Amino acid sequence: MALVLFISVFLISACGLIYELVAATLASYLVGDSVFQFSTIIGCYLFSMGIGSALSRYIRRGLVHRFIWIELMIGLIGGFSSALLFLAFAYTQSFAFLMYFIVTMIGILVGLEIPLLMRIVRGHFDFRDAVAHVLTFDYIGALAASLLFPIILVPRLGLVRSAMLFGIVNAGVALWSTYLFAAQLGNRRLLRGMSAIVLTILLGGLLGAKRITTAAEENIYADEIIFARDSRYQHIVLTRFKDDLRLFLNSHLQFSSRDEYRYHESLVHPGLSAIPTPRRVLVLGGGDGLAVREILKYPQIESVTLVDLDPEMTRLFSSNGMLTALNQRSFLSPKVHVVNADAFPWIDSDTTSADFIVLDFPDPTNYALGKLYTTAFYRAAARHLSAQGLLVVQSTSPMFARDSFWCIETTLRQAGLKTYPYHVYVPSFGEWGFIIASLRDYSMPKSLPAGLRFLNVESLPALFQFPPDMARIPMPPNTLNDQVLVRAYDRDWKDISH
Amino acid sequence: MNATRRQFLGCGSAALAGMTAKGERRIAGSFVDDAFASGHQIRDRAPVSTAPRQERIPVVIVGGGIAGLSAAWRLQKRGFRDFVLLEMNGQAGGNARSGENEVSAYPWAAHYVPVPGPKATYVRELFEELGVLRDGVWNERFLCFSPQERLYLYGAWQEGIEPSIGLSRKDREQFERLEYLFAAFRDSGAFTIPMELGLSQSPRDLDRLSFADWLTQRGIDSPLALWYMNYCCRDDYGALAADTSAWAGVHYFASRVPEEKGPLTWPEGNGWITAQLLRRVGWSVRTGQMVRRIERPGKRQGNQFLVLTDKVSYATDAVIYAAPSFLAPYLLEGFSKLQKFEYSPWLTANLTVDRPPRGAGTAERAWDNVVARSPTLGYVDATHQTLRSQVDRTVWTFYWALAEGSPAANRALLLQKDWRYWSEAILSDLERVHPDIRNCVSRIDIMRMGHAMARPVVGSIFDPQRRELAQGRTRLLFANSDLSGFSIFEEAQFRGVEAADKILNRLGRS
Repeated sequence: MALVLFISVFLISACGLIYELVAATLASYLVGDSVFQFSTIIGCYLFSMGIGSALSRYIRRGLVHRFIWIELMIGLIGGFSSALLFLAFAYTQSFAFLMYFIVTMIGILVGLEIPLLMRIVRGHFDFRDAVAHVLTFDYIGALAASLLFPIILVPRLGLVRSAMLFGIVNAGVALWSTYLFAAQLGNRRLLRGMSAIVLTILLGGLLGAKRITTAAEENIYADEIIFARDSRYQHIVLTRFKDDLRLFLNSHLQFSSRDEYRYHESLVHPGLSAIPTPRRVLVLGGGDGLAVREILKYPQIESVTLVDLDPEMTRLFSSNGMLTALNQRSFLSPKVHVVNADAFPWIDSDTTSADFIVLDFPDPTNYALGKLYTTAFYRAAARHLSAQGLLVVQSTSPMFARDSFWCIETTLRQAGLKTYPYHVYVPSFGEWGFIIASLRDYSMPKSLPAGLRFLNVESLPALFQFPPDMARIPMPPNTLNDQVLVRAYDRDWKDISH
Repeated sequence: MNATRRQFLGCGSAALAGMTAKGERRIAGSFVDDAFASGHQIRDRAPVSTAPRQERIPVVIVGGGIAGLSAAWRLQKRGFRDFVLLEMNGQAGGNARSGENEVSAYPWAAHYVPVPGPKATYVRELFEELGVLRDGVWNERFLCFSPQERLYLYGAWQEGIEPSIGLSRKDREQFERLEYLFAAFRDSGAFTIPMELGLSQSPRDLDRLSFADWLTQRGIDSPLALWYMNYCCRDDYGALAADTSAWAGVHYFASRVPEEKGPLTWPEGNGWITAQLLRRVGWSVRTGQMVRRIERPGKRQGNQFLVLTDKVSYATDAVIYAAPSFLAPYLLEGFSKLQKFEYSPWLTANLTVDRPPRGAGTAERAWDNVVARSPTLGYVDATHQTLRSQVDRTVWTFYWALAEGSPAANRALLLQKDWRYWSEAILSDLERVHPDIRNCVSRIDIMRMGHAMARPVVGSIFDPQRRELAQGRTRLLFANSDLSGFSIFEEAQFRGVEAADKILNRLGRS
C-alpha cells in the first residue's frame, strides 16, 4: 500500500511539473522572450496551486472520489494543453489568454491533489510520517520531471506528445486509485469507465499527434521553430528570433520580417506606380499576403485576385495574429479575393484581364515549379494584360544565380514581351532580381505611394543598372520541353554552396 | 522517428499497434478489350452467313487504325466523301487507341510521335492542321515536358535512356563508335521517314543479316551498349537485335534528325491524334463491323469487290485494306501465303497509382521510365503532360514487348496465363525500383496484343512480296505500316495517305 501510494505521488508531481514546463517552453517558442514566459508561467502556476490548496478545505466528503475526478481532469486538460496551444497560436488571436487560462486551471487542480491525498492517507499513517513521505516523493517527482523534460521528452517526443503522454499517466493514476482505495469508493464502475474513456482519448491523441518538429529539423533552422506543418503541398515552417520572424517553405527561406519590406516594395511599386490608372491586379503565388499589402497602398485599385496553391498558407496568413500584423490583414480586405488553385491551369482557363500581374512563385528548384517560368506560361499570362498592363516576375538572384536570372529574362522576351530587369539588396536574401515585362514600353514612375521604407523616386534608376558581375549573359529560353532554367538554377546554387 | 513510435507502442499499447498495422492493399483490374475472340473467328474461318443488307459505296476502307483514318482524312481533304471505314473493334484507333479513368486519360499502345523531319510532309501537314505546328514553331504544350526520360542503372536514376553515368572507358568508346557509324548512315540520306523515299538508295545488304550480327561484326561487345541496342529494338520493333534486320536497326538510329526537343506526346498518347482524326472523318467510321470476306465477283456486275460483314455486304469499286496484313490470307480469295511477315506479341497495362512511390533514388519523375536489364520496357506517366505543378494520383502505362523466345510461344503464353499472373509479373518488375509499389497501385488493367506490330526480321525490308504489296497495282490497295516492315505512326499515316491518292487516281478523281 505505502509504496504504491508514494509512487502515485511521485507520478502526479512529475505530471504537474511537465505541464508547467510544456506551457512555458511553448510560449517561449511561439511568442519569444523566454525569461518573461518562464517567470510569468511559473508564477501563475504556483499561485494557482495556492488557490487549489485553499479550495481543498471546501471538499469535505468523498475525498477519494473527488481525487479521482481531479486526476482525470488534469489528464485531459494537461494532456491536450500543448496541442490546444499550438492550434490557438495558428488559428486564433487569443493565444496568451488561453495559455494563462490553461495554466491556471491545471495549477488549481494540481494544488488540490496533495492536500486531498494527505487527508486520504491520514487514516493509514502517522500524520508526521504522511507529510514527510508525501512531500519527499512530491519533490523527487519534480526532479525527475525536470530532468526528463529537456533530455528525453522534448528532443524525442516533442511538446505535443510529451503532454499527451503525461496526461495518460494522470489518467492511469486515476484508474489505479480506484483499485487502491476500493474500500473507500462506492461507485467504482462509473469511475473505472470514465478512466478508461479518458485513457482512450489520450492514447488516440498520442498516436494521432504528429511531432510538431523533429530534432533533426531543428538543426536546419538557425532560430526557434514556432510553427511547423505539412500541408498537402509543402512543409511550412515559421521561425522566430527576437523580432525576426522567418517563413520557410520546404526549407527555402521566403521572407524575414526584418527586411521583407525591401523585397515586397521592390516587387510591387516600380511596376504598379508606373501604371496610369490601375484597377485590377492579379497576384500568382505570394500566399503570405505581403505583396498584396503593398498593392493595397493604391486606393484606386478595385480588386486584387490572389491565386495560391496552398489553402493552408492563405488561411495561416489570414488568421494568425502575428502574421496578419505583418501583412496588415491584407487578405481580410474586401477588395481581395483569394483563390486556392494551381497557377498554370488557372491562368489558362481564366478570362479576366488585369492592369498589373505579379508572379511571385518559389524559385525554380524543380521541374514542377519550373513550368511556371516557361514561355508557355508567360504567353498565357500576357493574354491577361490590359492595354496599360504590366507584369512583374520575381526572378531569383542575378548575383548568385546569374544564369537563372537572365534565363528568365530571355524566356519573357521569347514570349513576346519587352523586359525591364532590375535588382535590389535584401539582407536576408542577398542581391535579388525582378523583371518588369509588358507589351508596351515601360518608363519609371514619377511618384510612389507615401510611407515606403525603402524605395524612393530618386533611387529608382539605380535599380535598373547592372554592374559587370551581374550583367546580362546569353541564355536559351526556358520551355516546357526543355527546362534549362531548372538545371541552370541547380548549377548556380551548387556553385555557391561548394 | 519511427523507432521512437515503435518503442512507445511497445510500452503500453501493443493492442492498438496491432490495429494500426496496414495489410497489403487489394489491387483490382482485369484484361480489357482484347481482339482475340474476333481475330480467332477469322483465323478459324468461321462460316460467313449471307449479309441481309446490300449497300453500294464507291470506296471501302477496311481497318480504323492510323493508316485507315489517314486514308479517310486524305480522301475527305481532296473532296471525296463516297466511302465508309469499317472497324472491327468497338473503338477506332488501332495501336493509337486510348482509355480514360477518373485520374487521367492514358494510351493503350503508341504514346508519342517523334518531331517529324522535313521529309515527313504528310505528318507535318496533319500537325499544322491540328495546331501542333504553327509558322514553323512546334507548340511546346504538345512537346514532351522536362524531364523526358530516365534510366535506372547501377542503383540510381539518370536522366535520358542512353546510359551516360557509370560507363567504363570501353562502354564509352563503343557508344561513340556506334554514334559515328550511325552518323555516316544519317548523312547518306537513305534512311528516311517515310522509309519508302530513301529505300532504293539504301544498302540492300544490311537487310541480309541481323542487327546483332552487324554489331558483332563491328566489334561491339560492351554489355551496356548491347543492352541499349536491344532496348531500342524491343521498344520500336518488339524484337531483340538478333531477330531484327540490321537495316531496321540502323534505320532506328539514322532516320531522325530532330529540329526540336521532342517527342510530341499527349496524356492519352497517340489516342489524341485518333480523336482529332475522328472529329474530322468520324462520320465515315462504322465500328463493330468485322470484315469476314473480300470477294471479287467479276467485272460483269459492274462492281470490283464485295466486302462482307455480318450485317452488310458492301458492293464497291475500290478497297483500301488498312487492316494488318496477317489477316489478308483469311479475308482475300487466292491471296498467297505471307512469307516475311512476322508479328511481335505485346502486353500493355495501365496502372492507377494513388500516390507516388517512395525511395529508389531522388531523381524527379520523368515521362518515360526505363530500368536497365529488365525484360520489360518500363512505364510512361500519363499525367506528365499536365500543366499542374501538383499531382497526387496518376496512371502509368506499362509496356512489355515479349521479345525473348518465339512469337508463337509468347502468344500462347499471353492466352494461357491469367490476369493475376501478369499483374504479379508487372509488380515484381516495378518492385525492383519502387519497393513500395504494391501499396501505391489500386488498379491494373491489362491489354494483350498477340500481333501488336510487324517485326522487321532479316530479309523483310526488301522482301519481294512486301514490295509488290507496297506497289499496289490494283484497286485493292494495301495501306498499313506492315508495308514498311515496322509499325510507327509516320509509316502508317504515309501508307494511308498514299493509298487514298492512288485510289482517287484510279477512280479518275484526281
